[in-house]
Amino acid sequence: MNPFKMLRRAFVALALVIGTVAFAQGNLEINTPAISTLKQSMQQRHVQLAPLYASGAVGLAADGTVALRDASSVPLAQRGQVNALVAAENADRAALYREIARANGHPEWEAEVRKTFAQRWIERAQPGWWVQGAGGWAVRR
Amino acid sequence: MLVTALQAVAASLPPVPGQAGLKLELGRLAHPAATLEGLAVYIGGEKLPGAVELRRLIVSGHVIENLRFDCPRLEVGDAGVGCRGARLTIPGLLDDARVDLGFNPADRSGFILARDPQWGRLEARLHADGKAEVDVQALPLEALGRFVLPLAAYAAGGVLAGKLAYRSEHGEHVITAEGGGDAGRFSTADGLQAGENLQFSFALEARSRDETWHWQAGLDWSSGEAYLHPLYVVAGPSLRARGRLAPRRLFIDQAALVIQGIESFEASAEIDLDTARIGKGSVTVERIDLAQIGPRFIAPLVAPAQAESIRFAGFMDLGVAIDASGLSAFDLSFDQAGFSFADSALAVGPLSGVVPWRSVGETRVALQVDGGRWQELQLGAFGLKAVVDGSRVRAREIAIPILDGRLLFTDLDLVHARAGWSGRGGMVVEPISMKLLTDAVGLPPMSGVLSASMPGLSVRPGEVALEGALVISLFDGYLRITGLQVIEPFGSAPHLYGDIEARNLDLFQLTETFSFGSISGFVDADVRGLELARWAPVRFDAEVRSSPGDFARRISQRAVENIGALGGPGAALAIQRGFLSFFDSFGYREIGLSCKLSGNVCVMGGIAGERGDAGFTIVQGGGVPALNVIGYNRRVDWVELVDRIKRVVESNAAPVIK
Amino acid sequence: MTRLNAGLALAWVVMVTAGCVTINIYFPAAAAEKAADRIIDEVWQLREGQAAPATGANTEGAPK
Repeated sequence: MNPFKMLRRAFVALALVIGTVAFAQGNLEINTPAISTLKQSMQQRHVQLAPLYASGAVGLAADGTVALRDASSVPLAQRGQVNALVAAENADRAALYREIARANGHPEWEAEVRKTFAQRWIERAQPGWWVQGAGGWAVRR
Repeated sequence: MLVTALQAVAASLPPVPGQAGLKLELGRLAHPAATLEGLAVYIGGEKLPGAVELRRLIVSGHVIENLRFDCPRLEVGDAGVGCRGARLTIPGLLDDARVDLGFNPADRSGFILARDPQWGRLEARLHADGKAEVDVQALPLEALGRFVLPLAAYAAGGVLAGKLAYRSEHGEHVITAEGGGDAGRFSTADGLQAGENLQFSFALEARSRDETWHWQAGLDWSSGEAYLHPLYVVAGPSLRARGRLAPRRLFIDQAALVIQGIESFEASAEIDLDTARIGKGSVTVERIDLAQIGPRFIAPLVAPAQAESIRFAGFMDLGVAIDASGLSAFDLSFDQAGFSFADSALAVGPLSGVVPWRSVGETRVALQVDGGRWQELQLGAFGLKAVVDGSRVRAREIAIPILDGRLLFTDLDLVHARAGWSGRGGMVVEPISMKLLTDAVGLPPMSGVLSASMPGLSVRPGEVALEGALVISLFDGYLRITGLQVIEPFGSAPHLYGDIEARNLDLFQLTETFSFGSISGFVDADVRGLELARWAPVRFDAEVRSSPGDFARRISQRAVENIGALGGPGAALAIQRGFLSFFDSFGYREIGLSCKLSGNVCVMGGIAGERGDAGFTIVQGGGVPALNVIGYNRRVDWVELVDRIKRVVESNAAPVIK
Repeated sequence: MTRLNAGLALAWVVMVTAGCVTINIYFPAAAAEKAADRIIDEVWQLREGQAAPATGANTEGAPK
C-alpha cells in the first residue's frame, strides 16, 4: 500500500479520536444535587459578599478562594462575621471544585478545576473588585 | 530622651558666671544611649542671653535634626542654672514648645516643664534626695508614633496621661508608673488587628536591689472594642500580673485575666528577651461558660466556616503547658458540655469528663456522653474511653445506643496527621427495630430489624470505608448493603458509596407501606454502584424483578395507574382501558424494572428480553384478565421521576390517566 | 513538496499519537471554562442582570 495513503488514513482515524474527545469536552457534568446545593448556598452568600467585593474588604485570590484582604472598611464588630463568611465561602468553593471533578469521574482533576475557576472568577470580576494576580492585589478595571 | 540630652548639655557646662558672648562648640558627643552632633551653646549676646543648637541628635536609631533651644534670660546663681519662658523648636516636630527649666549642680536637683499645643504637657523633676518624677498629660500617640516605630506600624492614636516616678528606698530602686489612655485606636494596614475608642488605665511598680527587677502590673480596659483576627473583643477584661525582669529574661510569675464568661484565667511564662520566645509557660482556665465563650472565642478559632451554625452549652476547664519545643501538655475537662452543628444536623452532649494530652507518653480520655442526635436519630448515653499517645488514639470499644440497638465501634486505632485522620477498626450495629427507626426518621412504619457487622473499618483522610455487610430484614425478605464507603462525612458535600442486594421482599407489605396501591408477590432487587451525594442518589444501576418461586401474583388497578403515573403525562402505557377497568386487580407473570442513573438521567428498562418495538415490559400479564404494562420512555429525568414518586406516594390518590 | 507533506503528516501523527496516549487523563480545559462560567453566572446572578438590564433592578449584578 502507498505509505502516504496509510499515513493519511491513520491521521484521519486519529483525528476522529481527537474529535470524539473534543465532543466529550463539550459536556462537563455540573448538574448534580451536590453541585446544585453548593451553587445555591454560594448564591445566597453572594448577597452578603458583593458589597464586600465592591469595598475591597474581600478580594478574589489567585488560588480560587476569596480572601479577607483589607478589613479596615468593615466595622470592627462585623469583621468576625466577614471572616466567617469568607471561611464558609472557601469551604463551599473547595467542595465545589472537588464535586465537579468527582461528578465527571475524575477526582484527580480537582486541582485543574480549581485553577480554571480561579482564572474565571478573576476574569469575570466586576470593575472595582480586588483580584490577586501574579503581581499581587490589584483593582479590576 | 530629650530630657536626658539637655541634662547632659547642662552638666557639661562649667558654671561660668555671666560672661557675655560666649560660644561653645562641642562638636560630637557620643554615648551608648545617644549621639549628639554639631552641638553649640551660646551664652550671653545682646538679644539671646542663652541658646543651645544641636544639628543632629540620634537616640536609639531615631534621628532628630536642627534642634534649637532659645532661652530669653538665663539665670545663673547660687541656686544653679535656670531658664523661664524658653522655646524649644525642632522643625517638623515641635513648632513652639514653651519650656521652663532649672538645674542645681550642687545638690543635683532640677526640673523641666514643657508645654506644647500639639504635644501636651510634660513635667520632670529631679529631687535632691534622688527621687525623680515625670508627669505627662495629653500626650498624643499619633505624634509619638513618629519616634516609636511600632506605634506607627499600628497607626496608633489617642492620648496618654501618666506619671512615672523613681525613688530609692532601703537601698532598693523603685520605679512606679500609672496612667491611662483615652480615645485610643490602632489598626494594621489590613485591618486584621484593630481597636477603636479604647479607654484603659495601667499601673506598674518595679523594685530592684541587684540586676533583677521584681514587678507587678495591672491593666484595666474600660471601654472600646477591638478585632484581633479572628476574634472580636469588647471592653471589660482586666489583667493583673507580677513577675521578674532579669537582664535577658522576663518572668511572668503569675498573670490573671478577668473576663466575662470565665471564672478564673491564670497564666505564667518565662520569656527569652533576646529571641522573644517563650521558654516555659502555662495557662490554667477554669469554668469556661461555653455558651458565652464558645461563639466568641472558640468557634472563630476552631471552625470559622461553621461559626454561625455551632451552638455551645455547659462548662469546660483548660490547662496548657508550653516548653521550649512548643506545646507539651494540655488537659481539657468538660462539665455538661454540649455542641451542636446545625449544618450537619449533629449534636453531642451533654458530655462530661477529661481529655488529657502529653507530648510524651500515654494519657487516658474518659468521657461520659449523656446523649446526642444525628439528623432525626436520638443517641443514648454512652461512655467513651480511649488511650491517647501523641497523635494516636486507640479505643477498645465505644457503644452508642441508638433506639433499641447499639452502634458499636471496636478496636479503633486512629492517627491524626496534618491531612486528617487515618487508621482502622471495626463496626457492629446490634439489632435496631425498623419500626422504631422508621418512626424516628419519619418514614412510613416498616417492621423488621437492622443490623450490621463490619469488621474492616478503615479510615483515610476524608474517607471511611466499611468492609462487611449491613443487613436489614424487611418485608419478610432482607436488604444487604456491602462495600460501604463514605467520603467527607462531615464536609459540606458528603458522598456515600455502596451496593445493595435485596431478596424476597413482600410486595404486598411494601406497596401497602408506601400507599402505592396493592401488588402481591415477591421481588428481588440489586442496586450496584450506588452513590449518594448529600444523601441524594447521583449514580446507581438498579434492577427490580420478581423473585423466583411459586406465589400469588396480582396487581391492583391503583398500582397499575401509579406505575403509569411514574411514566409522566407523556408516557405511553399499554393498558387497554374499557372493559379492564371493571377489574380491581389483574394477574401477572412477572414484574421487572431497571434504572441506570447517571448524570441526572435514569435510563429505564423492563423485564429482560427485548420487545419488538421501542418499549420495555414492566409488568408481564398472566392469568385472567391479563394486562401488560409497557414503558416507552427509556430516558427519564431523575429529579422529575423522584417528584412523581413523591406525588404518587404522598397524594395517596389515583392520578388521572388519559 | 510531497516530501515536505509526508514530513508534516508524520509530525502530525507523532503529535496526535502522543496526544492519544494522554487522552484519558487530559483535562478538558475548554469545557471546564464553560462550566465555570455557567456556575459563576448563577452564583453571581450575572445572567439575570444581563437579560433584564432594562428593569435596572439588578445594577449590582450587571457584568462589565
